[in-house]
Amino acid sequence: MKVAGLDLGSVNTKLVILDNDQPVYKKTLPSRFDPVTTGRELLKEAYKEYRPEKTVVTGYGRVSFPESRVITEITCQARGCHHFYPEVSYILDLGGQDAKVIKKNAQGKVINFVMNDKCAAGTGRFLDVIFKGLHLAPGDIGLALEAEPVAINSMCTVFAESEVIGLLAKGTSKLSVLAGLFKSTATRLAHFIETAGQPESLVFTGGGAYYQPLVQLLAKQLSIQVMTPPEPELTAAFGAALIGVSEG
Amino acid sequence: MQIAGADNGVGGIEMENRELWSLLEMDLEKHDDLLAPLQGYFTSLFLERANRPQGMGYFDMVVGDIHGIRVKELAVAKKDGSKVFATFCVYVPEEIIQAVGSACVGLCGGSQFTVPSGEKVLPRNTCPLIKSAMGFKLDRVCPYFQVADWVIGETTCDGKKKAWEILNDYIPTYVMELPQKKLTRNIAFWEREVSEFAAFIEKETGVELTKDNLDRGIAVINGKRAALKRLASLRKAVPSPIHGLDVLLINQLAFFDDPIRFAKQVHLLCDELEGRIARREGVVPTNAPRILITGTPQPIPYWKIHALIEQGGGVIVGEESCVGERYYKDLTDPGASLEELLKNIAARSLNVNCACFTPNSGRIEDIVFMVNNLQVDGVIDFTLQFCQPYGVESHNVAKEMDRRNIPYLKLESDFSEEDQGQLKTRIDAFLEMLVC
Repeated sequence: MKVAGLDLGSVNTKLVILDNDQPVYKKTLPSRFDPVTTGRELLKEAYKEYRPEKTVVTGYGRVSFPESRVITEITCQARGCHHFYPEVSYILDLGGQDAKVIKKNAQGKVINFVMNDKCAAGTGRFLDVIFKGLHLAPGDIGLALEAEPVAINSMCTVFAESEVIGLLAKGTSKLSVLAGLFKSTATRLAHFIETAGQPESLVFTGGGAYYQPLVQLLAKQLSIQVMTPPEPELTAAFGAALIGVSEG
Repeated sequence: MQIAGADNGVGGIEMENRELWSLLEMDLEKHDDLLAPLQGYFTSLFLERANRPQGMGYFDMVVGDIHGIRVKELAVAKKDGSKVFATFCVYVPEEIIQAVGSACVGLCGGSQFTVPSGEKVLPRNTCPLIKSAMGFKLDRVCPYFQVADWVIGETTCDGKKKAWEILNDYIPTYVMELPQKKLTRNIAFWEREVSEFAAFIEKETGVELTKDNLDRGIAVINGKRAALKRLASLRKAVPSPIHGLDVLLINQLAFFDDPIRFAKQVHLLCDELEGRIARREGVVPTNAPRILITGTPQPIPYWKIHALIEQGGGVIVGEESCVGERYYKDLTDPGASLEELLKNIAARSLNVNCACFTPNSGRIEDIVFMVNNLQVDGVIDFTLQFCQPYGVESHNVAKEMDRRNIPYLKLESDFSEEDQGQLKTRIDAFLEMLVC
């Protein structure tokens, strides 16, 4: 059975088509403030070639697809990550506009979750805004692990931006600022995770998992093993399609 | 708000209401702006919902003219010499006010519309209920505030305690002091507070409180609470015969309406619901997740949380809240003398388990009892932003729910509409967790 899983995120819109549990198509497009239109385009394009029998829609734009099976990204994320890491109970999903910690059971079913407040603090959007201001190349990000992190106290995106401008004006190196941002974000995420429980290991997924220094700092902070799926921004779309397959 | 069947023509209810509102020195233009969006919102959330009991018609009518009919009754009663005491809290002994033939009404305080005005005199990081209520008075858009002679405040949180000092500049405000523990000496203290309040009411109204009139006052308020208890107990049925949103509305109106008429209408609704239960008719499928709401009050017209849960396919079967179970859980015992009656009034209210007390383990017991009694599938702990007592107590509630393997979701919000998307994701995910 061919099922499409569509994840309408605030930053990117993602489509995964499964033939049973085998991916036959994957694509990510920037949402550009309109994930619904982007999602419809993605589906239209893929439909010609793959003709999925069913579409499961998730992500915050999901409510605009009443004709499809609609499931929250929390349930989909748990199912998607369970496929790759069935033995790991805790998932951190760092997305564009929010962060979530999900606890799942041995069947991949959600048993508890927490989400951050209605604010971009400590989310992918927060990191993106600051990185844009720093004018760093993607390749520079890994170097942050070697730099001495400077203390960054603000977690509000707007205040942190001003703090970063102030630090740069004082002559602090961009890499130290970058290292500081990762460190403060990792600390914040670690506390956030601990509000949901005491994990022995963790799957770090969502677009934020591409920031490897953040993943490593988080592992260090929590003193646990942190795993990232091969394509972390796709796990929710993947999970959506998997649920579609199992529901038949 | 003019809804079902109301006459909007010149010389009709609307016109009469405007005259009344002018007499009460309300800001008519602002008041129009406050009510304008509510009509559509109420229609889509309530009137257009399928499968509602017919007995809701009365309550729809009351809320449809919430700033009209009842305010007029109060204005007429005042002409005849009685007084209006406005309250915010279930600890205020309304039996005493009822006994002397005066009226006790709740106050408006559940709208984002008046929050910015409240923030002119209160810090922004104050509970939205306090800010909204203050704004209603400052903007002169709540006819209950305008018709009231006194506000009866209490010290159930620091925000309210200090806000009364400011509110007193705009309307005379009497403050009842609540103890923080429930030891013997605290009970004695609260009994004295209730007696002093009784003396204050006698002085203000010029009516002497007697064993006879207090017996009658207690009977009337007990009658209202008993009707609400009956309604609450019918929600045990699977499938639930009524949406939580409708019961929330009734619980909200319990603070406004005439207590005798209100109780009668609640009983009529209950008769209808018993028929539904006998026929195994419900408003949701049998397997719809049954949700208990616990936490801070949801004053009228705040329906956001209930609406999101029930639109998501759940059904709310109980509210462990002041606009809910805490208000009607216990009745006042009879007594042989006036003193004993006052003592019983104090005892009943002190049984309410509010987070302003420490410790407050009784609340956790109440939640667990309701979970079992109402066959609840999951608990949603709702806290208004910046409410310290309930916000902090959530930790203990969560711990106990976890220990008992009761699915639990914590939500924090205010009266604005901006966070509907985030709330919906949390609520829908929680409901998915309960069904799959």
